Amino acid sequence: MKDTKTETAASFDVNDYLRQDRMPHFLCPGCGHGIALRALLWAVHEQGIPKDRLAVVSGIGCSGRLSAYIDANTFHTTHGRPLTFATGLKLARPDLHVIVITGDGDCLAIGGNHLIHACRRNLDITCVMLNNEIYGMTGGQVSPMTAEGRFTTTTPEGNTEPNFDACALAAAAGASFVGREVTAQVLALKTLLGQAIAHEGFSFVEVLSDCTEIYGRKNDLGASPEMMLAKKSAMRPYAYRNTVDVPFRPNALRTGVLTRTDRPEYGAAWRAMAARIREEE
Amino acid sequence: MTAPSLAAAPAALTGRRNLEGNEACALGAIRAGCRFFAGYPITPSSEVAETMARELPKVGGTFIQMEDEIASMGAVIGASMGGVTAMTATSGPGFSLKQENLGYACGAEIPCVIVNVMRGGPSTGMPTRPAQGDILQARWGTHGDHAVIVLAPASVGEAYSETIRAVELSETLRVPVVVLLDEVIGHLTETVDLGAVAEAPGIARPFATGPREGFLPYAETADLVPPMPRPGDGYRSHCTGLTHGPDGFPTQNPAVAAAALTRTTDKLVLHRARIESWREQATEDADLLIVAIGISARAARQAVKDLRAEGLKVGLFRPVTLWPFPETPLREAVAAAGTRKVLVPEMNQGQLVLEVERVLAGRAEVTGLSRIDGETLTPDEIAGAAREALK
Amino acid sequence: MEIRFSGSGGQGLLLSARILAAALTEAGLTVAQSNAYEPVSRGGLSRSDLVIGEAEADYPLAQRLDVLLILDEAAATVSTGLLTPASLVLCDAERVTTPPQGPFRTLCLPFTETARTLGTPRVTNIVALGALTAQTSICPPEALMAVIVAQTPARFERLNREAFAAGLAMGETEPA
Repeated sequence: MKDTKTETAASFDVNDYLRQDRMPHFLCPGCGHGIALRALLWAVHEQGIPKDRLAVVSGIGCSGRLSAYIDANTFHTTHGRPLTFATGLKLARPDLHVIVITGDGDCLAIGGNHLIHACRRNLDITCVMLNNEIYGMTGGQVSPMTAEGRFTTTTPEGNTEPNFDACALAAAAGASFVGREVTAQVLALKTLLGQAIAHEGFSFVEVLSDCTEIYGRKNDLGASPEMMLAKKSAMRPYAYRNTVDVPFRPNALRTGVLTRTDRPEYGAAWRAMAARIREEE
Repeated sequence: MTAPSLAAAPAALTGRRNLEGNEACALGAIRAGCRFFAGYPITPSSEVAETMARELPKVGGTFIQMEDEIASMGAVIGASMGGVTAMTATSGPGFSLKQENLGYACGAEIPCVIVNVMRGGPSTGMPTRPAQGDILQARWGTHGDHAVIVLAPASVGEAYSETIRAVELSETLRVPVVVLLDEVIGHLTETVDLGAVAEAPGIARPFATGPREGFLPYAETADLVPPMPRPGDGYRSHCTGLTHGPDGFPTQNPAVAAAALTRTTDKLVLHRARIESWREQATEDADLLIVAIGISARAARQAVKDLRAEGLKVGLFRPVTLWPFPETPLREAVAAAGTRKVLVPEMNQGQLVLEVERVLAGRAEVTGLSRIDGETLTPDEIAGAAREALK
Repeated sequence: MEIRFSGSGGQGLLLSARILAAALTEAGLTVAQSNAYEPVSRGGLSRSDLVIGEAEADYPLAQRLDVLLILDEAAATVSTGLLTPASLVLCDAERVTTPPQGPFRTLCLPFTETARTLGTPRVTNIVALGALTAQTSICPPEALMAVIVAQTPARFERLNREAFAAGLAMGETEPA
């Protein structure tokens, strides 16, 4: 049997997609963002997107810094607003493949309104939210994804707020593609991101990333391998959903493709309307 | 799909017609090549968005009403980053919300035009009543040192022609330009002769065309306006709101940071002659000079005629480019006429007067005349204050 | 020349002013139109001013009215400060119960009643526009009628023509 995975892996060299002169990167040892970035670039490679046609738009925070490492048209925008910049860019330049890299604070707190409207509008943008459950860049404050009870610099006695289910939020707001994956599953993550990029319409992917240096240490979650394995053991992949092992695997964390619909893509719909107006003129 | 061309057909607009100020802004922008508008409804500027929604599809442009003011500013910058000329419009509260992203456009040198139709404030204020309270916010609204151009039309014809100039300055100098109207000018309908408005100049953003290898997106060129890389053209450069060096990447090197920031402000000094614009009326021998913008300048225009008829030597100096303030022309007008007194009527508690005082620095006695009740300053009020000052 | 159309929201005042402005512009004049209304879609004080001249007005807002049209009691007194002895005030005989008093000429004419007789009070503004045209001779009636036809829905054309003609006749019978 042909090992397609190995073949693909062999043809993909992440260095082809990185700005070598920006290395070494600034991520902490053990940070999950690097794994997510590699999976994303691998997916870009597999989708055959030319780097000249790739636009990566990021916000502010640890996730926001990733765009600078990608050898493409990259835009590091303002806090919480990358989806708004990406909306303008994609509408003005439908020929570009627009990927947004954002974090849980960037996307769900300060940028929450933009996320739900981007989901509703269904413009062809891929939004990759790296969820590390913390504001890492600013030193470890609570985020809308921080679990209850967790310690952060602004919840010194433990977080008393509930967190979001970001994927349920995106799906409810109308995102036509929603998925979630953990960093321990690089191949699955790569595949999911590839599906998201290929999807025509707004796609939202939540990557459960690992902030070892700040979140992990503050909450005594162990080093990177422990954090990754903990998430891996909590996940409930699509294939196992609704199966008889429920009593034996009471895992709550749903991963894989969670929502996929074929709602009309906004840009195409708008251009069709505009073309009709011009014809009537 | 290919990259859209900036040279899409212009809207066919010629001859005399009655236009509203807000409508004129939108049509002027389209005439100048604007092909993207993102906005959010707010009184008294919504007609700009409504006109754009109606007209842009006809010329192959894109209109979008975003979820909020911040998003519309972000979308405008995003479109401009894609190489398409873009504009938004708002009023006081919305202008406040746009400031952070406006600062991004200043820092990353992304061309864009922001129409701000001033209404009463602070906060929600008097949404349907005119004011001129954003004179300083237009200059210093976003944080940090930054370069920005502000144009202040005083008629519907100027709303059209100055918006064309706003696009031209923004695109060619890579700087955000604010078109600052007051509610009266925004909602005023006037007969304008679009044929008399000079043809839109050859507005062309300097796009990068040289070698891809070793390309520096923020290189210090002789004209201080670095050619802008357009996505898809092969430059694959980085754009950030962080202070960046010539290579476009963040820097904390003091020398590089200082040079980069200084270039964006020096740029406007270098091109000052092209940016500055003002009008003078009966200034040659003026004992008293009125300095005003927008509807206050229109009232002053009549006041000057009325006062001249009484034999009083009064003139009007009207900044059309409000920021950078035409300081040398004002000093020269005052010096040439031997002007003793300067009156600054404005619909706020005294903003423009601060700049006039700074510019004249004792060369003439400067007095303010303010009105903040949601009503305009009338020619009679201004004439009365001028008579008083000349006593 | 300064003309104010005033009344309550929904009476078509802004439209009347816009129609007159368009006709005057076509005749080569330069017009400035400014509107004011309360932040409600129907009812509330509403007005639209035209400042008319050969060239762009220095100050485009009304200061001394040559003609003041009042179609509703809501607007009966608010404009009195802008009237001079040379002003002409045209009031709706039915809806304006306290016409402005002063050293100016005031005519109370049955705009609403005439419109209702023609079929609907919605054309009151067109009746008034006819009377105003006759009283001021500001522009040829045919030119104004052409703009009315161009700027209003086709299904109202016959009604508008009748309303405008009735207004003209009403204005002509009064001494100008």
